[in-house]
Amino acid sequence: MPEEIKLGNFTVKDAPKYEDILQCMRCGFCLPTCPTFSLTGRERSSPRGRVALARAVSEGRLEFNQVMKEEAFFCLDCRACTTACPSGVQAGSLMEICRAQASQQQPLPKWQAAFRDFVLKKMLPNPNLLETSMLPARLYQQLGIQWLVRHSKILKMGPEWINKAEGMMPSLQQPLRQQLPELSPARGEKRGTVAFFLGCVMTLMYAEVSRQTVKVLNHQGFDVITPKAQKCCGAPHMTEGDRETTRQLAKHNLDLFMELDVDAIVTDCAGCGAALKEYEELLAEREDQRKLEKFHHRIKDISEFVAEVGIRTEGLKPVNKVVTYHEPCHLCHAQGISKQPREVIKAIPGVEFREMKEANWCCGSAATFSLKFTEDSQKILDRKLNNVKDTDADVLITSNPGCHLQLAWGLREAKMRQPVQHLSELLGEATPD
Amino acid sequence: MITQQVLDKLIQAVGKENVASEKEDLMVLSYDATPGLSHTPDAVVYPTSTEAVQAIIHIARDAGLPITPRGSGSGLSGGSIPVQGGIVVCLNRMNKILEIDEENLTATAQAGVITLDLANAVLEKGLFYPPDPASQKISTIGGNVMEDAGGLRCLKYGVTGDYIMSLTCVLPDGNVITTGGKSVKDVAGYSFKDLLISSEGTLGIITEVTVRLIPPPQDKRTMLAYFDDIKTAGKAVSSIIAAKIIPSTMEIMDKTTINCVEDYVSIGLPRDIAALLLIEVDGHPAVVEEDSVKVVDVLNIVGATEVSMAKNDEEAFELATARRFALSAMARVSPSTLMEDATVPRSYLAETFAEIERLAKKYDLTVGTFGHAGDGNLHPTVLCDERNADQMKRAHAFFDDLYEKVLGWGGTVSGEHGIGIAKKDYLARQIGPGGVDVMKRIKQAFDPDGILNPGKIFAEEQES
Repeated sequence: MPEEIKLGNFTVKDAPKYEDILQCMRCGFCLPTCPTFSLTGRERSSPRGRVALARAVSEGRLEFNQVMKEEAFFCLDCRACTTACPSGVQAGSLMEICRAQASQQQPLPKWQAAFRDFVLKKMLPNPNLLETSMLPARLYQQLGIQWLVRHSKILKMGPEWINKAEGMMPSLQQPLRQQLPELSPARGEKRGTVAFFLGCVMTLMYAEVSRQTVKVLNHQGFDVITPKAQKCCGAPHMTEGDRETTRQLAKHNLDLFMELDVDAIVTDCAGCGAALKEYEELLAEREDQRKLEKFHHRIKDISEFVAEVGIRTEGLKPVNKVVTYHEPCHLCHAQGISKQPREVIKAIPGVEFREMKEANWCCGSAATFSLKFTEDSQKILDRKLNNVKDTDADVLITSNPGCHLQLAWGLREAKMRQPVQHLSELLGEATPD
Repeated sequence: MITQQVLDKLIQAVGKENVASEKEDLMVLSYDATPGLSHTPDAVVYPTSTEAVQAIIHIARDAGLPITPRGSGSGLSGGSIPVQGGIVVCLNRMNKILEIDEENLTATAQAGVITLDLANAVLEKGLFYPPDPASQKISTIGGNVMEDAGGLRCLKYGVTGDYIMSLTCVLPDGNVITTGGKSVKDVAGYSFKDLLISSEGTLGIITEVTVRLIPPPQDKRTMLAYFDDIKTAGKAVSSIIAAKIIPSTMEIMDKTTINCVEDYVSIGLPRDIAALLLIEVDGHPAVVEEDSVKVVDVLNIVGATEVSMAKNDEEAFELATARRFALSAMARVSPSTLMEDATVPRSYLAETFAEIERLAKKYDLTVGTFGHAGDGNLHPTVLCDERNADQMKRAHAFFDDLYEKVLGWGGTVSGEHGIGIAKKDYLARQIGPGGVDVMKRIKQAFDPDGILNPGKIFAEEQES
């Protein structure tokens, strides 16, 4: 069987395609968009360099070694290079695949692997277990932060990140998943029915944001169905290189949501949205192509959806604020959604929109990057905060919980005045209760 | 091979953080943007000052190691590939803009400053640095000088070399020279600065560059013309020039290129036309108005199927940006893109297009052609697969035949990308043994031991 052919020093399972690697013609258009290259000035920490290393592995000129693993994880997976690449090279996806290769080829010591598996395979895929306790200490463990504590040595992390992790925690509310009714009815003239994909971090840490998302959708004229049986989208597993668990979660969510008769599946988490849109590729060999395509087309970020159906502005209250917007990488680069959030923001009465410089430059959160590489993450964050400062806006809007945590923490530490709001909160503020 | 002792000396000279010799760091400095070429160096050094470059040269000389300077590695003729190993001197950490002198209309920058950063910095002061190679977002100003890079605006504004006032350069013997200055006129002795421009890193390592600035045009207008035959587009270009109009930009893209670019940018370029011209006129508003009317007239007379104006600056910018992506976008459809840089007197454009069409058919190849039509500078690009030996052979035969014609028409084998490794054979055909011989003597005078960027410009049999 052709797929059994081993590509250089990659293992057969979850290997990249050689054609995808060859696609890179090394023009270097990615270089100025890469936050890690900008930090280090080191070619191996650039998309072009990382693809070249992967090519060396695929041609047997390099073992899949420690450096390859380091670069796979040092990559922020922000996908800015994907947007910048005229040749269509997916350096971010390639590094994600290399993370899966790392877990096969550079396995962790046994006890660490067992703990990682516990977090990724037992805790995260099980929403009930995840929500059983709301004690912050448990939550840390559930989110894998404790796992990181125990790994701090091998990840060469200093003690400073623990403070950061604590500082980043928002005040916790009841998890939303249990509270949201299975059906929240549309208000005013009904325009359709949507399913709501509620991300793990949203339900646990940003319950109020997602409550606003549902309120907004209802006010926009949509019935909202929130299936209780939904599970984690799989993004954390993908990020950590566990593609098998990702596939299992993907299969579960795919079947669950495709049983519903809805116009769209809406999410307010850019990370989840990006992962859900990748199911098509992830499950390509296992599922019916048409079903996957249909699922893909139904997945909509909240801003994408509202812009597409046309925002209903009747009844919206003015919000007299100057706002600026930080683009989550997993929205603008991974999903190509850049105009829509701005359209929605500008449509809210009373809002003055002020564009910031480098709005689509990563904030340095990048899943667990901000905890693994605290110093580098801080430098990327500072660049972002300076750009926020220059706008002198009243509020910083974003639409992804990872960015939200990082930015809120950063602004607080820098003693800046701007609060961070999710786009749903801003729109929710304008929407009558 | 480099010894630990030499590495230690380098570390001592420039600091540990500016030297790397790990295999993975070196592998990724083995290439530039030229397909099919690579060679791994023994070490890489990132100097942060002219003195550091000087120190590196002394160390390399003592150790008998070759040195290859490098900017961003976006070159298209292999000029920064360390073909004989040794030390790569990567200048991208020398990235400070040192001065913008508004009284003398000059800007001085370290060699590793990104071209677009320099252009944007002077623009903030209300000044204009015109050279804009397609890779301006990544290329360094030092690299631009070394290749005498062109761009989209050369037709009216000229190339990088036309804007160089002064260069600071470390010679292979370790001496530092500054040639030229801020004076508008300077005929004191040989014009070394002109010798260094387009020397491809073989005569010295440039560390600082002073460029000439001009006031920006007050107004501009961008037009798009479609053609159902690429030869008609070529005719349009020479007709516009013959009508005594010098647009700032006259770029061409053929059908293959348009489709690849549109796949990436999705701005609604028509996929079924044979070619398009992107034309920009700039200057005083009254002149812009007059010129654009004349250009449209000529286009209609020659037989463009459609002519339209960019609605606003944003749309004009979008079109120019789309054009800059042409080469990289072609990599979407084929694993390898073999591009050339043939340049002809503009009156031969239509013939050149016809020849490209004929040869593509003869060698059974897919060729996408784009380029700076207004300069007679074309980039016919063979879409190929470097793993297919037969196809690569045909691709090289295609270019051999094409250059035969180009040289016959009084053209050149390289308009703006340099000779590097890729075009060594063609150079000899263009300038003959006498030309090669005098160039080699110049090289020898600067670098008698041949340590600086060896293996470039001259073919083996031409090397002494």
